[in-house]
Amino acid sequence: MRWIARRLLHGLLLLLGVSVLTFAFTEIAPGDYFDEMRLDPRISAETVEALRSRYGLDRPLHERYLRWLGSVLRGEFGHSFAYHTSVGSLLWVRARNTLLLTGLATGLAWLIAVPLGAWAAASKRRWVRALFGGGTSLLLAIPDILLALLFLLLAVRTGWFPVGGMASLDYPSFDAWGKVKDLVHHFALPVTAMTLATLPVLVRHVHASMSEVLRSPFLLSARGFGIPPRRLLFRYALPVAANPLISLFGHSVGSLLSASLLIEVVLSWPGIGPLLLESILARDVHVVIGAVLMSTVLLIVGNLLADVLLYAADPRIRVES
Amino acid sequence: MRRRRKILWAVVPLAALHGLVLLAEFFAPYHYATQNRMLPYAPPTPVHFFDQEGRFHRPFVYELVPDETGMGYREDLTRPCSIRFFVKGEPYRLLGLFSTDRHLLGVDEPARLLLLGTDGFGRDQLSRLLHGGRISLFAGFLAAALSLGIGLALGSLAGFYGRWIDAVIMRGAELFMALPWLYLLLGARAFLPLSISPVQTFLLLVSLIGTIGWARPARLIRGVVLSARERDYVLAAKGFGAGDSYLLGRHVLPQTLGVVYTQAALLIPLYILAEVTLSFLGLGVAEPEPSWGNMLGELQKYHVLTSYWWMFSPGLVLVVVFIVYHHLARKL
Amino acid sequence: MAVAVQVTHGTILRTLVALLFWAVFPLISTLAQSDGAAGEVTLEDPLITNHRVGRKGGRLVTALRAEPSTFNPVVALNIPSQTVIRRMTANLIRINRKTQETEAALAKTWDTSSDGRRFTIYLRRGVRFSDGHQFDADDVVFSFELYLNPEVASPIRDLLVIGDKPVRVKKIDRFTIEFELPEPLAAGERLFDGIAMLPKHILKDSYIRGEIGSAWSLDTAEKEIVGLGPFRMKEYLPGSRCVLERNPHYWKYDQEGNRLPYLDELVFVFVPDQSAHVIRFQAGDTDIIDRVSSENFLILKRQSRRSAYRLRDLGPGTIYSFLFFNLNVTSGKDRQSLRDKQSWFRDLSFRKAVSAAIDRQGVVKLAYRGLASPLASHVTPGVARWVNSELSVQPRSIAVARDLLRQAGFRWNRAQKLVDKNGAVVEFSIITSSSNSQRLQMATIIQADLKELGMTVHVVPIEHRALIERITREYDFEASIMAFGGGDTDPNAQQTMLLSSGYLHFWHLGQTQPSTVWEAEIDRLMKEQVRTIDPVRRKQLFDSVQELMAENLPLILLVSPHILVGARGEIDNFNPAVLEHPTLWNVEELFWSQQRSE
Repeated sequence: MRWIARRLLHGLLLLLGVSVLTFAFTEIAPGDYFDEMRLDPRISAETVEALRSRYGLDRPLHERYLRWLGSVLRGEFGHSFAYHTSVGSLLWVRARNTLLLTGLATGLAWLIAVPLGAWAAASKRRWVRALFGGGTSLLLAIPDILLALLFLLLAVRTGWFPVGGMASLDYPSFDAWGKVKDLVHHFALPVTAMTLATLPVLVRHVHASMSEVLRSPFLLSARGFGIPPRRLLFRYALPVAANPLISLFGHSVGSLLSASLLIEVVLSWPGIGPLLLESILARDVHVVIGAVLMSTVLLIVGNLLADVLLYAADPRIRVES
Repeated sequence: MRRRRKILWAVVPLAALHGLVLLAEFFAPYHYATQNRMLPYAPPTPVHFFDQEGRFHRPFVYELVPDETGMGYREDLTRPCSIRFFVKGEPYRLLGLFSTDRHLLGVDEPARLLLLGTDGFGRDQLSRLLHGGRISLFAGFLAAALSLGIGLALGSLAGFYGRWIDAVIMRGAELFMALPWLYLLLGARAFLPLSISPVQTFLLLVSLIGTIGWARPARLIRGVVLSARERDYVLAAKGFGAGDSYLLGRHVLPQTLGVVYTQAALLIPLYILAEVTLSFLGLGVAEPEPSWGNMLGELQKYHVLTSYWWMFSPGLVLVVVFIVYHHLARKL
Repeated sequence: MAVAVQVTHGTILRTLVALLFWAVFPLISTLAQSDGAAGEVTLEDPLITNHRVGRKGGRLVTALRAEPSTFNPVVALNIPSQTVIRRMTANLIRINRKTQETEAALAKTWDTSSDGRRFTIYLRRGVRFSDGHQFDADDVVFSFELYLNPEVASPIRDLLVIGDKPVRVKKIDRFTIEFELPEPLAAGERLFDGIAMLPKHILKDSYIRGEIGSAWSLDTAEKEIVGLGPFRMKEYLPGSRCVLERNPHYWKYDQEGNRLPYLDELVFVFVPDQSAHVIRFQAGDTDIIDRVSSENFLILKRQSRRSAYRLRDLGPGTIYSFLFFNLNVTSGKDRQSLRDKQSWFRDLSFRKAVSAAIDRQGVVKLAYRGLASPLASHVTPGVARWVNSELSVQPRSIAVARDLLRQAGFRWNRAQKLVDKNGAVVEFSIITSSSNSQRLQMATIIQADLKELGMTVHVVPIEHRALIERITREYDFEASIMAFGGGDTDPNAQQTMLLSSGYLHFWHLGQTQPSTVWEAEIDRLMKEQVRTIDPVRRKQLFDSVQELMAENLPLILLVSPHILVGARGEIDNFNPAVLEHPTLWNVEELFWSQQRSE
């Protein structure tokens, strides 16, 4: 318990570090939000300066940071220049949408990856190995963005799937069954794209660590004792291979908010990705910092989760602590 | 022996590819930046062996001219133009050493030999593909080597020594993974002088990405080291009074090789692909210099994606290269 | 007052609510309308439009590039926000996007004094906000007070400050307002387009609290956003869409006496990706598409035979793209190499040679697939009323360019590189915004064109904000490609670019005195045309300005992209124009000619 408390404290320090460094980065990137107005023939340079000082952009960096910290304590997470509202309210809805997409996809990917990777590692058949190697290599080789674009193309060419959004315009007027159908219809493409994007890395790691374990002497001897292959695979090999996988799982959880950026942008998912990209390009710094902090929180949670699981799963680590 | 032969299956194509790419000027029919403004998005030129009367010829092509719609092309069947080997073309310096103007393939005027079609500027896609591979392959190597080098060093330190060293390095890794590096890249690009060449700029950015990317391999390596140092024979060696450097070098690090290879196989393609993302954000290799990333980036344009299939060629090459790399990594 | 309306609905609940209002309202109304002249006025003189009479019903869906950032007209700047806001608000006088002339809106008529300084505006009587509240002169005065208050720092304010002095607004009676400009301003009534009238009864409190900037943000309850436009806010879903519904109190009628708009709902879906826009239009998810890129337009066109939509190429809009050189005065040791290069850039022959070498037809063909027009003047052919048609597009000629360079003392060395008088090789960089692929393509074409003159050009795409900072604040660039336009077509809108003291005078910013003779002459001409009421004389003056710009080439003009739009075949009264907003400017008149088969 003390250990978890210590980890949480670490997490808090990490958040602080991230926020300080992110602030510093925003300073390095040239230009600020109000620069865009300098190209607008209707707006004078004086007005731009007035707006900058109104939002405190003419203050020194540390002063801006302290002001922002104050607003975090009030639960607002700063003010968006573009949206004229608090960052907290802006991010919350979109983060929920992103988590819906990535949560589903990550869950699905793991459900597929563990049995598939284990099975491929255990299989002696050449064609299984060839198919597995080829399939994962191919999937790995297709960049997210191309995958998303190909899905987009599929949607257009076939007309089977809607493009963009989470539900139809008429969603509220549907009955319960209609709603479910509509949701499945809208979720199908982005979730599949996202699953395919995360799957190969997971499968490869499962495969790699399982292969290693399967070659180790204790399993060879276990096999010699005549333990049935399935029991051997899942009861004996998988727990031993679990350590790197648990770290990977923590990483999976940690990247729930950030992994889907390109897919969200291409498939018009109303998540955090499009907002973050736009805010980075527009120098809406508080939104960027808010989004970064949100994904850092998830990262910390993911790591903590991984360590707790490792602690529970591996007696050796337990003894150590 | 069998194992070695399997490795050869990956090494030979990779060596051939690197050779092609290194001698791109010779193998490419044209310079990568030569524009044919009358031929934007021209499809690959068909190679013929039989003329209109059905008589056999040495391989030849017809000149492409805009068709009636003004949106497509047709062949001008009046004049066959033969394909020739070792022709004189645009002068270049091979490997920066020999000045010459010989190209492997060429075609009689006025036709153009566009075996993989052209891009939006009417530039020969094959020539660009060959030149582009040079930057892309090198970038992948460079960034992966940097990430793995730093990751291996810090990850094994953290895993082996544990305690505060572990804590500091792993907190550092978390910090590195959480930060919005896009900002740093944007900033870095903006601060580089305008006059340095696109390739230098890009390599600087790639080194930056590679350096930043140490955190992930470090964490995985740490996990392996953590469990490796608990193995019985390591404990036994320790019991016999083996020093840290001996333990690390003899027993622990070899255990990490599997992860390092898997990571390398994943990271090289990943960093080649990072360039696609960079192109997406306008931070990739600048025009007119080609790279597989910025060529693939063209596919983000909807009209290219849907209308010009030959623009997929860099994607195809990438997929092949990755498969070969993965094969190599698995057989090592 | 809301009361009367609600009683007529007659349901028991509403009556109860209304009774409650009766109890409270006298208090509020005496506070709110201190002149005591407030009484209910029914809509006496609605605006009668003269388009084809349509039928009511249906929903129109269109996509926005980005989510609106606010629903507040006082602070809204970006196009998505303004696109939504403009459907919910109205102006006193508006510019007809098709004719590009002013026409009556909330103002029934107006008088202009002979010196062009005083406008008397007579409001329509009995106009109501979308919540049913009466609109009168108090709202107008309140709105202008908001826009003009320097504390509010509204970007609109600069439009209303003429020669450092703000416009004066005076209420004459409940439906008459007088505006007095500090200086004569030709075509001054055009100012009123783009200044949305705001409801005093809704926004007064937040104005008094000093929070007007964050009023009507994305979190505001839909009901509180009240305007005079054809639609009002019904529902906003963050990140996904906003739905507007018909404003039941709208003040325009068709010739058969039907209250506009025809459409029940107007839906904006937020689609950040350009390709996805086209795809959703093809899939029938959206009904109208604008700002189509030339490539996507050709794709749509190729498939239009099979589909139920029509496409329009409206020709060049108001946007003009150009290459320009850094002619700023810079100091500091690190800028020495720039200053050396500026001796070329300041040489008119050099700029002329560059202009002559550029293949504008190639730009049109390659970067815009033929859907752009090469430019002769910075006023595009899309602004038919003001363009100087005497000017002709510079034909491409490498020979002419070489002659010009030779006469100016440039030579070619053995490697065929261009060198100047002092033997320095001519080499410079062009920066462009990395997010704009057309400009990048233009730069790449120009790079190849100038190579034929022996010039070595580096194309450097840099991120948009970084580009702006280099150009407007640091003057740290050699050449750049940019584009201007998109605002009003009147010459007054171009002062900031043309005047030597203007802040869009990008080739040489921060001049207190015009640094060249021709810049001084342009200053003089522009200042004279502002005071000139006679349109013919104004045109002559502005023609001379365009000639001077074309002769001296501070901007080496490239092309103007065409405005490309599309709509479903069943949408009637579709009347797109090159000015913002190209397809929705007459949204109240649009209707579905037949029920769509879903």
